[in-house]
Amino acid sequence: MLAIREFQRGLGRFSAIVSALGLLVFLVLILGALADGLFYGATGAVRSTSATAYAFDDEAEGSLVRSRLTEVDVAILAQAPGVEQAGPVGVLLTGGEGPQGTLSLSVFGIDMGSAGTPTTLVEGRLPDPGESGVVAADERLTDEGVVLGSTIAVGDVTAEVVGLVADASYQLQPSVWTSVATWRAMRDAVRPELRGQPDGINAVALVTTPGASLSEIAAAAPGITVLSAEATGLAIPGVEQQSSTLNSIIYTTLAVAALVVALFFALLVLEKRELFAALKALGASTSRLGGGVIVQAAVASVLGVVLGTVVARLFGLVIPPQVPTLFRTDTLVTIAVFTVVAGIVGAVFSLRRIARIDPATAIGGVL
Amino acid sequence: MNEDPVVQATGAVPDGTGPSPAADALSHAGALLQVRDVRKVYGEGHTEVVAVSDATMAVDEGEFVALLGPSGSGKTTLISIIGGLLSATSGTVRIGDVEVTGMSRRDLTRFRAERVGFVFQSANLVPFLTARENLLYVAGLVKTPRAAAKSRADQLLEELGLIGRAGNLPEQLSGGERQRVAIGRALMNDPDLVLVDEPTAALDTAMGRQVVELLRREIKARGKTGIMVTHDLRMVEYTDRVFEILDGELTHVEEPSTLGH
Ligand SMILES: Nc1ncnc2c1ncn2[C@@H]1O[C@H](COP(=O)(O)OP(=O)(O)OP(=O)(O)O)[C@@H](O)[C@H]1O
Ligand SMILES: [Mg+2]
Repeated sequence: MLAIREFQRGLGRFSAIVSALGLLVFLVLILGALADGLFYGATGAVRSTSATAYAFDDEAEGSLVRSRLTEVDVAILAQAPGVEQAGPVGVLLTGGEGPQGTLSLSVFGIDMGSAGTPTTLVEGRLPDPGESGVVAADERLTDEGVVLGSTIAVGDVTAEVVGLVADASYQLQPSVWTSVATWRAMRDAVRPELRGQPDGINAVALVTTPGASLSEIAAAAPGITVLSAEATGLAIPGVEQQSSTLNSIIYTTLAVAALVVALFFALLVLEKRELFAALKALGASTSRLGGGVIVQAAVASVLGVVLGTVVARLFGLVIPPQVPTLFRTDTLVTIAVFTVVAGIVGAVFSLRRIARIDPATAIGGVL
Repeated sequence: MNEDPVVQATGAVPDGTGPSPAADALSHAGALLQVRDVRKVYGEGHTEVVAVSDATMAVDEGEFVALLGPSGSGKTTLISIIGGLLSATSGTVRIGDVEVTGMSRRDLTRFRAERVGFVFQSANLVPFLTARENLLYVAGLVKTPRAAAKSRADQLLEELGLIGRAGNLPEQLSGGERQRVAIGRALMNDPDLVLVDEPTAALDTAMGRQVVELLRREIKARGKTGIMVTHDLRMVEYTDRVFEILDGELTHVEEPSTLGH
């Protein structure tokens, strides 16, 4: 009762801490949206498929575009222990033409239905196995006017869009998914130096049995490295560095939030020493008074989270679309929980101060 | 300033219902409060201060007594020990069948909430709670049922002439009204003992008299036992008996009339 009434009747002072926390939450949420936007935008194409692992040549360092394999490797890996399915993967980062002009694209050539097939179809259909001249396009391309039935051209090779897939960007470029043959035709059209490699692919997508050893699979195919799908995402240039940089800023900001709360409540307790001494003299226990401070910190943190979230979402509306941001609910929940915990941890530091207040100082104006 | 509806007569001392002071008032069996050889020494070595030296006193149930003495004589120290706010260096304090000296801090907190009512020099009300909420807060410390606490708070505020001010915050009350709220708060949990330290220090004389008179009336009407610390001789006329303390020595025990004023 005491803690909540103080909050209600002292809104002026508590609005200071709520705004400060709201500002920090806003900052963390925007950074989180940026981190998620970069991560998901860079790695969608290796996360949103049936593949659980990818095989590369030994020199590729886990990069799909640098790796050079052939379709022979697909057959070898399909026989490796622990491999359920193996499918070719061809990747081409290129420019193309869409209904409204030029597009940045990542073209994926795969065997539809085999390992590496997209799992995030949201509209239309995937190309049939062996079907050429059609693609499933990244949902993001609808911002560029792409709809079912649109034609996308790479060089002089055209393909019709028959389906849309979600969360499928690669290195922030929206993807299109087609047969290996169509992909190879597009590659030859824009990269003449790669012509004359009729069975060349970049990597092999694998569906492995649960618990399969990736190093055993690699051992079955000389010159080949196998990485899990997750590791493949992190191996994309910049992804790991960006994630760890943004995450450390986020955690630092949360630590600052704890510090701000700690300072605020330390000051508040200092200011209320005389009152707390009197209440202790009247028989209020340290835990009751401390509990009130914790409740106030929790309420302030929750309100700060609400304020910060609202501001961040409004701000999200004015972020230009070329800045990759993604507001994810689970990131929001994580940040909300961390903020409230940081707030409570900050307030815990004032408990010792409350415990040290001597009720004897209340009487006789000794203070 | 002096428009309080409750305090009609000023100057007249209501009749006490306490027992007449006995010759053995310093110590006798059956008293509600028994203080025996209480000594309090602050500090050590050459910074040592004997604030209270071997004080012995007894107060019967229903008595309202004064503890009179000049500044620095040890009044606050003694009353703090009696109320379980301060530990004595030696000696014992008993309230009813409970020995206060020797209780743990935790038990003392509970003991104060349940059995002792304090009125401080400055009212020390919770500034963000209304007059009524200030009373209800202490009721919450001993888990009084909500409805019972509410009716008791309203009854006390009524008796203290504050019912029209029940919804006011302390900053919207005069000094005398605040002190009256503090009296209500001290009585809220139906304590055995009410301890009052210089309740009139922050008030002018007229207001001070009003507050002390009201305090006496409430204590007497409820059959409570009260000790009021004061250095103001004019306030002792409202009490049944006077203990005088000088340099830590509890020296005199007298009836107010014999002190003369
Ligand atoms: N915490 C303390 N540490 C050391 N000495 C103290 C402490 N509190 C009180 N004293 C000393 O003990 C003596 C008695 O103090 P106490 O506060 O009991 O006096 P008092 O009669 O209440 O005085 P006043 O009328 O000024 O309030 C004084 O000499 C004082 O300086
Ligand atoms: Mg004093």
